[in-house]
Amino acid sequence: MKGLHVLVSRAAIVFAALTSMAPTPVSGQDGAAVAIVVHPLTGVDNLTFAELRSIFQGDRQFWEDGRRVTLLMRAPAAAERELVLDRIYRMNEVQFREYWIGKMFRAEVAAGPKLVYSADMARDLVTVIPGAITFVPVADVSSDSKVVRIDGMLPSDEGYPLK
Amino acid sequence: MQRSIAVLTCALALWTTGLAGQADLTGPTVQGFIFGDVLYASVEGTDPGFRVGQMVAHANGTLSEHVLFFGELSATYRNSAYSVAMERAILRYEFNDAVKLSAGRYHTPISYWNTAFHHGLWLQGSVARPRAVTFGTPFIPVHFVGAMAEGRIPGTPVHYMGGVGNGRDSSGRGAQDGGDANGNRAVIVSTSIRPSTLSGLRIGGGVYLDRVPDGGAGESDERILSGHVVWDRGMMDVVAEYIDVAHEPTLGGTSRGSSAAYVHVGVRLPGSLRDLTPYGRWENMEVDSADPVFGSVLPDYDAIIGGVRYDLEGLAALTAEYRNEKFDGGASANSFVMQASFAIAVGGQS
Repeated sequence: MKGLHVLVSRAAIVFAALTSMAPTPVSGQDGAAVAIVVHPLTGVDNLTFAELRSIFQGDRQFWEDGRRVTLLMRAPAAAERELVLDRIYRMNEVQFREYWIGKMFRAEVAAGPKLVYSADMARDLVTVIPGAITFVPVADVSSDSKVVRIDGMLPSDEGYPLK
Repeated sequence: MQRSIAVLTCALALWTTGLAGQADLTGPTVQGFIFGDVLYASVEGTDPGFRVGQMVAHANGTLSEHVLFFGELSATYRNSAYSVAMERAILRYEFNDAVKLSAGRYHTPISYWNTAFHHGLWLQGSVARPRAVTFGTPFIPVHFVGAMAEGRIPGTPVHYMGGVGNGRDSSGRGAQDGGDANGNRAVIVSTSIRPSTLSGLRIGGGVYLDRVPDGGAGESDERILSGHVVWDRGMMDVVAEYIDVAHEPTLGGTSRGSSAAYVHVGVRLPGSLRDLTPYGRWENMEVDSADPVFGSVLPDYDAIIGGVRYDLEGLAALTAEYRNEKFDGGASANSFVMQASFAIAVGGQS
């Protein structure tokens, strides 16, 4: 069963690579990692990358405690936004925009991500909006930020998927 | 006509812009879109000319953390006048990702295209919907009035949607907004698999059951089965769908089946041509001439469609499309359409 899972995952990676429009991998500013930060009272310490993608794509809209997820997204042109679009969404800006308009049109979500205009704004808002999740460059993580592990890894770890 | 346009304009303005100022990140919010199109059509056997397409205002409201509202109004030019219609109005309570209960007027989830694009012409990769899901072609009930349960089965990529409603109206083309004339509820169940490891892939299908008026004075039991495969990520944009509709007279008689299928493929070009998306679509609809509901009103249909979409800056696109269509196996009819479509975002950006 595990072998099948590995086979499917590898096939997915190959298929995604063949159909991707972004031939050049995007990396964070100066190669820095991007940390996933949630509201301090959110009862989650670790997410699989699949869960993270599901949350960012609006397919998963609630945390385990029933609180609605509020996704805070950096405005276009930020390096960390480009990294998230590339690694999590596998979309460019045009596809990202079409994706959320389509989600809203199909009544799958009531609203798209909330825009934030700086890492400071993202870091501050995520601590005051219950259920919020965002991403910030590691250099902008503060001591009161709740950083979530991705597949058990922190941004400083080898193999962390968002750097 | 002018009065209708004025009323719609006021309604749209009040509905969208009036609420759009609520930019609070935690309180009630509304996000909306206005979709529209203008086209030039040259259809063999008719005079070519410009046409104003359907204008649609779509709004999503977050009333509280668990209560949402989705609404859609349209203005359509018909017979020298504009008609304004409530296309969708859905009030939904979301317990969590697994259970969401709602009531209202929906796009019937028996067809992928019907729910994914419908009035949002800018969203779709061609000038018009496939014939099987076009309003006015009664192959499927495109709207549904009733109540629904939907969600995602926890820990799986399986999404479900099921509900009961009034079913088709007496013309077979619309939904019954004011009650169920024959007291026999329509039932729908649909499901789809959307694996996160293959983001962009969707495989699904549905079943729809109802009792509908047929061409005579009687009724027929209607059973619709559908299936679809979609890939919409990266360079490729593929939608393939099959729909089978069967009618069996309630007073006895043979069940008659009709079917429709289409395959739509679009390719987003790379590099400096990335704003261009050439596409092609094959469509086929086979109607049993003895079908008690469709036999006298729906012809067979075959079409080969090809076109190019050019995405302009912002939320606008130009599409040029050639269509070769054949009705009831007769001579082919060719047509050429140029369309400008757009979407205007109101009350929030991502």
